Amino acid sequence: MTIAEAVADGRLPGRVWFYSNYHCNITCTYCLTDSGPTVARRELRSEQLVDGAREARELGFTDLGVTGGETFLTPWLPEALAEMSRSLPVVVLTNGTLFGRRLLARVEPLAKLPVALQISLDRPDPDANDAMRAPENFHKVVTAIPELVARGIQVRIATTVESIEDAELDRLCALHRELGVPDTDHVIRPIIRRGRAVDHALGVDATQPDLPAELTITADGAFWSPFGPTVHSGLLDTDLLITRTTGPLSVPAEALLRLVEGQPQGEDSTLNIR
Amino acid sequence: MSTVRLVDAEQAPLLARPYYADGDPGPIIGALAQVPELLTVAVPFLGAVLGPSAIGWRTKEIVIVRTSALHQCRYCAQTHTVVALDAGLRRDEVAALLRCGPGDHVFADPAERALLHWIDAVALGKGPVDEQATAGMTRHWADHEIVELTAVIGATVMLNRFATALGLPTGTATLDRLDAEGLR
Repeated sequence: MTIAEAVADGRLPGRVWFYSNYHCNITCTYCLTDSGPTVARRELRSEQLVDGAREARELGFTDLGVTGGETFLTPWLPEALAEMSRSLPVVVLTNGTLFGRRLLARVEPLAKLPVALQISLDRPDPDANDAMRAPENFHKVVTAIPELVARGIQVRIATTVESIEDAELDRLCALHRELGVPDTDHVIRPIIRRGRAVDHALGVDATQPDLPAELTITADGAFWSPFGPTVHSGLLDTDLLITRTTGPLSVPAEALLRLVEGQPQGEDSTLNIR
Repeated sequence: MSTVRLVDAEQAPLLARPYYADGDPGPIIGALAQVPELLTVAVPFLGAVLGPSAIGWRTKEIVIVRTSALHQCRYCAQTHTVVALDAGLRRDEVAALLRCGPGDHVFADPAERALLHWIDAVALGKGPVDEQATAGMTRHWADHEIVELTAVIGATVMLNRFATALGLPTGTATLDRLDAEGLR
């Protein structure tokens, strides 16, 4: 079975993820990658993302994701996203705190392209939201989202929580609608107990069968899932490592396919992790 | 203390997990697991070269212990000293291999004596192997045996340098056995 066939019949998820970098301007309590301002950057190069996107399309993948770290700390990202989107649609994850006037101008061309920005917003109240993320995070996010929406950029909101009461969720959904983000672009996902979440005893345990097999490329190698290349106490977890080789993309992709083919059907995605 | 982190079962990458199914797979696997795609081709290769084959177990251990001693690989020499005893070599034979001196007075079989000369010439020599060693081998061993024994020497040299450079630790059980045999 080829990768294209496996993607087409649903055996292999269609999205390939790239960790553009590991450093971040904030230090969230549940961060998978233990990211923060002082950690090693572990950056991919711009051409690795662009070339990887092209290879992903040629292999038969259907979508791309870019995550980090705070992705927009890499100065070349807006242009790289535009290039990547010539190959496949891209969703880029961001904490939404860096969108000043200059960055807004640089991302504006993405409005005409198949690029979506997925911004983290966990709670409808500043105090509760910022306690898990960073001071002023809520304010910066609710300021940035309408600016991006006004420029025609597709914005998705990701809510990462252990649990959320119905009333609080209702207020959060009312907020994202008010900001211009429809319900179809709001995802809610659990905290995974890996990385810094371990130190705070947050989230749910997730093992390989719980995680969709989404090929994930990092400076440290290729992983089973974007929840794979986690860092704890400064050490990279290798339990979900597939290969150290990331280029050509066919090397880790073929290895991932062999692993998926060796796994009984029906055991993935039990935690609705997206 | 090894130079690199040896991957334990909890951190074993997906392609490496089968090698941990029966417990601690040892430091060579633990190091190679850092690069799973290398592990998955290296282990079958090493298994084919060093494992059971048309060449007898005793003969292979003669090659591995001698080569490891020549390259002063502590890990390989200690580990395979124990294996060699299990393969039926006598203590004095193992001791002679570890000393790296002439083995003619210990090894009575002329084929094994020719093999020792071949090992010394191949494992440490540079350039062509000397004619005397070659003549000894071709007199006592078939072509396919020479090929396989030479591959065993080459694979052992690779492991010798790998284990020595990375400072791989000898297992406690091996060290205890060496103490008991007076071969440490």
